[in-house]
Amino acid sequence: MNYPIWHLPASGGGLLIAIIAILHVVISHLAVGGGLFLVLTERKALKTNDQALLNYVQSHTWFFLLLTMVFGGVSGVGIWFIIALVGPGGTSVLIHNFVFAWAIEWVFFIAEIVALLIYHYRFGKMKSEDHVKIGWLYFIFAWLSLFVINGILAFMLTPGKWIETGNFWNGFFNPGFIPSLLFRTSIAFVFAGVFGLITAVFLKDSELRNRIFRYCAKWMYYPLLVLFITGIYYTKVIAPEAFENLFHFNPESKFFINALILSSFGLFGLGLFTLFRLPSSIQKLVTFFLVIISFTWMGGFEYMREIARKPYVIYETMYSNGISPADVEIINENGFLKVAKWAEIDEVTEENQLEAGREIFRLQCMSCHSISGRNAIKPLINNFTKRGIEAQLTGMGKVNTYMPPFAGTEIEKKALAAYLYEDLLGKETMVNPDYLAEQYPLEVPAFNSADDDYVLLVWNDLGMHCISDNEKYFTFLPPANTFNAQLFKRGDKPELVTNDAIITYEIESGNENPEERSMFWKYSKATFGVDIPLGKGLKGKSMNDSMDLHGNHFAAELIPVLPYRSDQKFNPYPMFTFKAFDKSTGRLLVETKAVAPVSTEMGCRNCHGGGWAWNNISGVADETAENILAAHDKYNNTTLLADAKAGNPKLCQSCHADPAVGAPGKPDVLNFSAAVHGFHANYMSDMYEEACNLCHPSHPEGNTTCYRGRHYNSGLTCTDCHGRIEDHALGLLAGQTGKPSADRLSASLEPKWLSDKSTIIPRTPWIHEPDCKSCHTNFNMMEDGFSGSAFNLWVEGFSELYRNRTDEQGVMCISCHGSTHAVYGAENKYGKQRDNMQPLQYQGMAGTIGTHDNCQVCHKKKMNTNGHHRNQVLREYDVAIVE
Amino acid sequence: MDTSFIPTPDGLPVSWQWFQVLLLFTFALHIILVNLVLGGSILALFSKNKANDFYVFNGNIPIMVALAINLGVPPLLFLQVIYGHLFYSSSVLMAVYWIIIIPLLILAYYGTYIYVKNNSFSVRWRKISLVISTLFLLYIAFMFVNNSTLAQKPADWLGYFDNSNGTMLHWNEPTLWPRFLHFLFASVAIAALGKALFYKYSNKISPEDKELQIKSNLKIVAFITMVQFIIGTWFWLSMPEVIWKMFMGGQMAATIFMTVGLIGALGIIYSGLKGNLNLTLILGVLQVMIMIIVRQYSRAFYLDGIFRPSDLQNSHQPSSLIVFLIVFLVGLATLYYMIRLSATSKNNQS
Repeated sequence: MNYPIWHLPASGGGLLIAIIAILHVVISHLAVGGGLFLVLTERKALKTNDQALLNYVQSHTWFFLLLTMVFGGVSGVGIWFIIALVGPGGTSVLIHNFVFAWAIEWVFFIAEIVALLIYHYRFGKMKSEDHVKIGWLYFIFAWLSLFVINGILAFMLTPGKWIETGNFWNGFFNPGFIPSLLFRTSIAFVFAGVFGLITAVFLKDSELRNRIFRYCAKWMYYPLLVLFITGIYYTKVIAPEAFENLFHFNPESKFFINALILSSFGLFGLGLFTLFRLPSSIQKLVTFFLVIISFTWMGGFEYMREIARKPYVIYETMYSNGISPADVEIINENGFLKVAKWAEIDEVTEENQLEAGREIFRLQCMSCHSISGRNAIKPLINNFTKRGIEAQLTGMGKVNTYMPPFAGTEIEKKALAAYLYEDLLGKETMVNPDYLAEQYPLEVPAFNSADDDYVLLVWNDLGMHCISDNEKYFTFLPPANTFNAQLFKRGDKPELVTNDAIITYEIESGNENPEERSMFWKYSKATFGVDIPLGKGLKGKSMNDSMDLHGNHFAAELIPVLPYRSDQKFNPYPMFTFKAFDKSTGRLLVETKAVAPVSTEMGCRNCHGGGWAWNNISGVADETAENILAAHDKYNNTTLLADAKAGNPKLCQSCHADPAVGAPGKPDVLNFSAAVHGFHANYMSDMYEEACNLCHPSHPEGNTTCYRGRHYNSGLTCTDCHGRIEDHALGLLAGQTGKPSADRLSASLEPKWLSDKSTIIPRTPWIHEPDCKSCHTNFNMMEDGFSGSAFNLWVEGFSELYRNRTDEQGVMCISCHGSTHAVYGAENKYGKQRDNMQPLQYQGMAGTIGTHDNCQVCHKKKMNTNGHHRNQVLREYDVAIVE
Repeated sequence: MDTSFIPTPDGLPVSWQWFQVLLLFTFALHIILVNLVLGGSILALFSKNKANDFYVFNGNIPIMVALAINLGVPPLLFLQVIYGHLFYSSSVLMAVYWIIIIPLLILAYYGTYIYVKNNSFSVRWRKISLVISTLFLLYIAFMFVNNSTLAQKPADWLGYFDNSNGTMLHWNEPTLWPRFLHFLFASVAIAALGKALFYKYSNKISPEDKELQIKSNLKIVAFITMVQFIIGTWFWLSMPEVIWKMFMGGQMAATIFMTVGLIGALGIIYSGLKGNLNLTLILGVLQVMIMIIVRQYSRAFYLDGIFRPSDLQNSHQPSSLIVFLIVFLVGLATLYYMIRLSATSKNNQS
C-alpha cells in the first residue's frame, strides 16, 4: 500500500523468495554447524595424530569456504534484496526496528569471514593449537550470527510483548527465540554431518571414507532428540490461531507438513546407510539424496513457519500485503485506492470498474498471489461466481484467518470481484431469465355450510420443504413432505375426531411417480443405510396413501414429493386431495385440498457456480455439488468429493447433528444449521433478507418464492423474525458453545439486532424458533411489546412451536392459520389462491379459518366470545383476506 | 512536486545523525574495497607484468571480494534506515535488474576463484573467467548507479505506471553515464594506488621491480585523475543547474568540499607523477572521503523539498546502539587478535 508492487503475474514474488531463501537457509545453517564440525574434526585428527583425517578436514574446509562464504554469504544478501523487492513494507519494519541487531550481526559476519579465510589459507601453516583457536572463533561467530538472525526471524512469528511496548529487547528476545535457536542449532549440526559426506565420498581410501561416514552419522543423529523436542516446543509458543491455521485449517500447509515429515524420514532413514560399508557409487548416491533431502526438509520447515505466520508478515503487526491491521478500518472508510500511494486510479466508476479492480489486485493481492504461477489466484477462484468471489473477499480474515481481510469499500470489493471474474477468468455472469411460473388451474372443493357435518383442516408442517436433490454427491434434505390434519365434527360445540376416521390422500396428476425423476432411491442405501422401496418415503409413505393418527391430529410423514412433473414442468406446490372416511362405515365425511410445498431451488450456485440441474429451471447441478464438496474438503480435511465420485455420497447429517432429520451427528462437529449458517455468515456483510434469498427458495423473483403468507403481504421480511444472517448464525453457534469450530466461526461475527454478542440466547435449530407471541402479545395484533424483531425471543421448546401449539380445546394454531411462511391470506405465484384452498372452501374467503366472524365453519351457532384465543371476535379487520 | 506517492518512512531508534555518520564511514570502506576489486580486475586484464602482479595483488582479489561484500552490508543497512522508503521504491521499479545482481555476484565471485586457481585451470579459462567476472562487476556497478540516481529522483518514478514489471532503468537521467564513468575510472585509480601499496609491502619482489611497479602504478593514478577532471566536470554539469550551482557558492560547505576535492585531485596528479606513494595514498584516501561527502551533499540537494532525514521520528532506544558499539569494539579486537595470530603463528613442522 505504501510501496509500488513488482508486477510478477506469472511466478509471483513469493516463489523468488522461496527459492533464494531455501538455498540460503540450508547453507547458512551448514555454515554454523559445519564450523563446529571442522574444528572438532581437526582436533580429533590432531589428538589421534591422524594425518589422513586432517587432510580430509583441510580439503573439506576449501569446499566449505566456497559453499558457505561465497554462495551462503551472497545469497544472504540475496534474501535481503528479494524481501525488500517483494515486501518492502515488512522489510522496512524489520530494518528500522532491528537496525543495530543487523549491525551486530554484520560484526559477527566479518569476524566469521576473516576467521574462515585464515582457517583456510593458513591451514597447516600455523601452530596447530592456534589454528584450532581460529576454528573455534569461526564457530563462535557463526553461531552468534545465527543467534542474532534467529531473534529477528522468530520475532516475525512471535513478536510477543513488542506489540505493546515497541521495545527492541522485547522484540528480539521474543517467545519464539529459545525454541527457534535450539531447533536451528540442532539442524545446523545435522547438516554439518550431511555435507561432511560430500568431501568424504570422493576419498579414494575406502577405510578412511567409511570411517568418516560413520563419524558424519554421529553428527546427524546426536542432535535428533533436541531437534524433535525443540520442534514440539516451538509449536507451543506460537499463537493458538497460528497453530490452528498451520495444523488444521490452512489447506496449503498439508503439503509442507508432509514434506517435512517425509524429509525427516528420508534424512534419518537414508542416513542409516552411512553406517554400513557400501560401494563408493552407492555412497555417492546416498550422499546426493541426503543433500537434496536437506533442502526439502528446510523448505518444509520454513514454509510451515511462513504458513503459521499467515496472514501476517510480522505477526499482528503487518499483513503479508503490507497493510497494518490498525489501518484496515481507515481504508474501509476512505477507500483503498484513495489511501494506497501507488494507485493510478482514485475512485471506482462504472467505466473503470475492471481497471480499478486490476489495480486493487495488483496492490493488495499480488504480494502473495500470482495470476497463474505460485499461489496462483485463478484456480482459487475458478469454482466461484462473481458473487461467490465477492463473498470470498468478504470472508477473508474471518473463517480462513490465514488470509488478511479485504481492505476497501464495498464498491472496491465489487470492482475487484468483477476484475477477477470477468477479466482474469474471462467469464460472464449468467443472467437468469425472468421466471414465469405456470398458472395451474385451481378447483376449490365444495362445502355446504348448512348440510356438511365435517371440516377437515390439512396443512404441510412447514411452509416449504427443500430438497438437496443431487443425491449423487450429497444429501442434507431428502424428499420428505409431512402433512398434518385435524378433523372436526361440526356442531354447536364442535368435536375433534380422531379414532373414528380414516384419512387418505392422493397427489395431483403428473407428480405421482417421483422415483422417475430423482436419485433419492438410488443412493438411499449409501446415504441412509437402507434401501428404500421405489416411490416410498423414509417412513414408508407414498404419493397416494393414508394418514396415521398422532394424538390430536393425523399425519402422513415424509412423503417423497418432488416439484418435478412428468410433463417436465416445474411445480413446487403440487396439490394433494385429502378425504376423511368414517372408519366403521367407510362413508366419505369430507374432502379437501392442500399443497405440498417442495422446492429444489437451492441457491448454492449463486456463489459456487454451476447451472440448474433440471430442465434449466431448478436443482443442484453436478458442477455446483462438486465445488461445494471441494470447498468442504479443502477446509475440513475431508474426502467427500472423492467418496462421492467413488459412489459413496454422504448424508451431511451423518456428521452434523440435525433435529430436522433426527440425526445425532458427531459430538465435536457443529450441528448442520450452525455449521452452514455460521460458516456462510462470515462471507456476507451488510445484508438483510437478500442474504436469506441467496440460498433459500424465498427470492421474490425465483422459481419458488416460498415466503408467501400474510406476513409477507404486510411487509415483514425474513430478518424481522429470524434476525439478520449474523444474528441468526450467532444464535445457532451460541447453542454449540464448546465445540471447536463454534468459536472460530463466531469470532468475526458482530450481531446486528443487538449490540452485545453475549446477550444472544443459544438456540437449537428447529426447536428454538421465533415465537409468534413476540409480536402478537397475548394473541393481539402487534399491540403490545412489538419490538420490530422476533429475533432472540425463541419459544421454549418443541411443543411451543407454532406448528405444534394448540389451544385449550386441542385445536392446533396451524390448523386455522395455515403453514408457516404461508399463513392464510397467502399469495402463491403458481396461482394466487393455491395455498388458500381450505379457507376458500369452508368460508369463501382467503383468510384465517373463522376470520370475519366465520365461526360457523365449525360452530353451528353464532359465537360471541373468544373461544380459542383473545382477539377473535368483535374486532375490526384490516388485513385478512386475499381477493 | 507531487510527493503523495512517496512511501511514509518508518521511525528510528536513535537520532538520524548516527546513521548518517555510520553510513558515510562504512560506505568509504566498502567503496575502497569495491574499487580494489573492480579496478583491480580491469588492471589485471591489461596487466603487462602478470607474474608479479598476480603474486602481489591479483591473486588476492577473491579475498577482497569477500571483504567488499561484507563491508557492503553496513552502508546498505544504514542507507535503508535513512533512505529506505526511497531506495525500496526505486529498487522495485528496476527489480529484475536489481535481483539479477545476486546470481551475477555469486558467479563473479566464483569467477575470481577460478582466476586465482592457477594450478587447477588453464590460462585461457582463467582469463575468460576474469573477463566474465569483470563484466558482471561492471553490470553490478551500473545497476547501483541506476538505483542511486533513481532513488533520489522520485519524479521519475511515475514511469512505473507504464512499466510495473521491474524492468525500468534510469536511462533518461543525464548524470547516469558520467556518474558511472566517474566511479569506474576512480576504481581503476584506487586499484592502481592499492597495487602500488601492495608492491611496497611485498617481500618477494626485488627492490628494483618494486620501485618500478610503484612508480608505474602511481602514474596510472595520476593519468586517470586527469581524465577524472573531464568526466567529473561532465558529471557535475549534467546535474540540474540549481544543484551544480550549489557547489559553486550556492551552499558554502558543499562548495568548500568540492574545492578541496579539486585541489586534492591536483595534488594526486602531482604526487602520482612524482612517484610519492605515501602522499598519493593519503591524498587518495582523503579524496575518497571528500567525494563521498560531496556525493552526500548532492543527494541532499536532489531531495530538497522531498525528504529530510531530520524529519524521521526518533523512538529514543539507544540501548541496542550501545550494545552494537561494544560488540563492534570487541569485534575489532578479535579481528586484530586473529590477524596477528595468523601472521605470527608458524607451524614448526612445515
